[in-house]
Amino acid sequence: MSVLTLSSTTTLAAAGFSINPEHYPIIIAALVISILGAALSVFVVLKRLAFIGQGVSHAAFGGVGIALVLGVHGATTMGAIGQLGIVVAFSILAALGIAAISRSQRGRTDTAIGVVLSASMALGFVLFTVAESGHEHDEQGHAHGEHADGHHLIEEILFGNILNTTWTDTWVAIIASVGIGATLWFTRRKLVFWAFDEPVCDAYGVSSRRMTDLFLVLLALTVVMSMQIAGVVLAAAMLVLPGAAALNLSAKLSTVFVYALLVAIVGAIAGLQAGLAGDYPIGPSIVLAQSVLYLASLLVRVCLVRLRS
Amino acid sequence: MPAQEIPAVEIDHVSFAYPVSGFDRKPAPAIEDIHFTIDQHTKLGVLGPNGGGKSTLIKLILGIIKPSSGTIKVLGHSPSKARRLGLVGYLPQRIEADINWPISIKQAVSLGLACRTKPWKKISANDQAAIDRSIELVGLTDLADRPIGALSGGQLQRAMIARAIAGNPKLLVLDEPTVGVDIAGQKRFGELVDTLHKQLDLTVIVVTHDMRAIAAVADRVACLSRTLHFHAAPQGLTPAVLAQVFAHDVAGVFGDIHIDAHLADECDDPAHAHQHQHDCGCDHGEEQINGGDRS
Repeated sequence: MSVLTLSSTTTLAAAGFSINPEHYPIIIAALVISILGAALSVFVVLKRLAFIGQGVSHAAFGGVGIALVLGVHGATTMGAIGQLGIVVAFSILAALGIAAISRSQRGRTDTAIGVVLSASMALGFVLFTVAESGHEHDEQGHAHGEHADGHHLIEEILFGNILNTTWTDTWVAIIASVGIGATLWFTRRKLVFWAFDEPVCDAYGVSSRRMTDLFLVLLALTVVMSMQIAGVVLAAAMLVLPGAAALNLSAKLSTVFVYALLVAIVGAIAGLQAGLAGDYPIGPSIVLAQSVLYLASLLVRVCLVRLRS
Repeated sequence: MPAQEIPAVEIDHVSFAYPVSGFDRKPAPAIEDIHFTIDQHTKLGVLGPNGGGKSTLIKLILGIIKPSSGTIKVLGHSPSKARRLGLVGYLPQRIEADINWPISIKQAVSLGLACRTKPWKKISANDQAAIDRSIELVGLTDLADRPIGALSGGQLQRAMIARAIAGNPKLLVLDEPTVGVDIAGQKRFGELVDTLHKQLDLTVIVVTHDMRAIAAVADRVACLSRTLHFHAAPQGLTPAVLAQVFAHDVAGVFGDIHIDAHLADECDDPAHAHQHQHDCGCDHGEEQINGGDRS
């Protein structure tokens, strides 16, 4: 690890960058989560699941509310892991809830997302208020609390604060990303069939229902990881922009995945640079950089189409 | 004496009703007590009106849904096992595959076989050869590397047929394959099905509400309107003869359909006969005029 660190520092320093070692977990987490988001984003865009990503990320706010009411928060390592577990479980339930409601509503996914998103956000705010009022009550007897600045906490949940990332968070992100990435690789052929032609895949032995549920679970896990960087509001963007940009640039699936990874990595580096050197919020900066790359890809596509015609 | 061949499909007194939502609605049977056998190597046309249970029959044969009562065997296996074994190929009524996907025709055709390959293995040389052969059979070899979105509607349908036959199935199920296709297109489609039937020794089931499609494709006809009125085509009744009869005298074609005892009893009632004629387009009142079963 130290060799890698020394080598990276030397290389980056030679390239004109200087990195504070304290920022390593932030940088690694941002890159790992961006790469994971890129891999899923191709499926999300092609399967038109962008709005479900928004629904799940907003639903995670309800999970945060439950964790706060239960007194499970990130003040300690175990607390952070416990909070993450509750948010992950709630997000997975929300994703599967969207799928179940959608099925019961004969495929009206927009209705399902609307119901789950609204209910979870409302639950999150109510529980947040309950936790805050309980905390104020405690403060009458105690000297201080974890969430004295409630508005700041909500802001962090909504827009992310990657600067709080510790090595523990980074390792959790790495392990989760390896697990999600491995699942994606093992199921890649069935996922492609399902995403390409869902109405028929059951007839070919690929269970539409199982693939839908599996992908939504992977999506929920990735959304929760992305929330660490970009918060509830912007997390889903990291699961859309790389794939959307890549699909503007190539009509070959394997190349699309490569372009998506490049967009995610370049966007993450640009956002980190803006955040760590320019003091801008990192998560929104990454999303903004990826948005600029998407617009650039759109421009390239339009130019290519005109040149060919 | 040769051993008797396993039937392609055995449907034994099968009924099915879709569950419905809402307190004020009762499940309506989509299929009621159908009972018949499809021999291997036949080209069966299943004809019936919209809502007559044709797509439900396909889902039952594919094992996507299970009968409310009765049993189905496909080549001696349960439908889901037959599907898992790759014994059944399927062309859907509407091709809803997203043609904006960044994949070539060859990749699209290979998807079915790819899903049966272990994740850590490449598609085998044999499977690659089967994919190439199926593309060749449907006449798309020259276009195999083109993006799927560059195909016309007819070419896309052929690509999906290639996907259906790439896994070397024994039974090919085609759901309304000639909707919106002109007469010349139907004839070409019939020729394609004929080629596949001969070259791959397939059993083919074509489900349609279009009698011309039956004429173009099938050598056996069954009429389905919630219940099944089945007829194993008379010897000598070739698709060409069917086409002729269909064109001039629809009643003549279906007048000789053999109805099982239960249904025949019901059809003795003129009111029911009239209702049935309305439901499935078959005029059973003409049975006597046309001489009944010609076989």
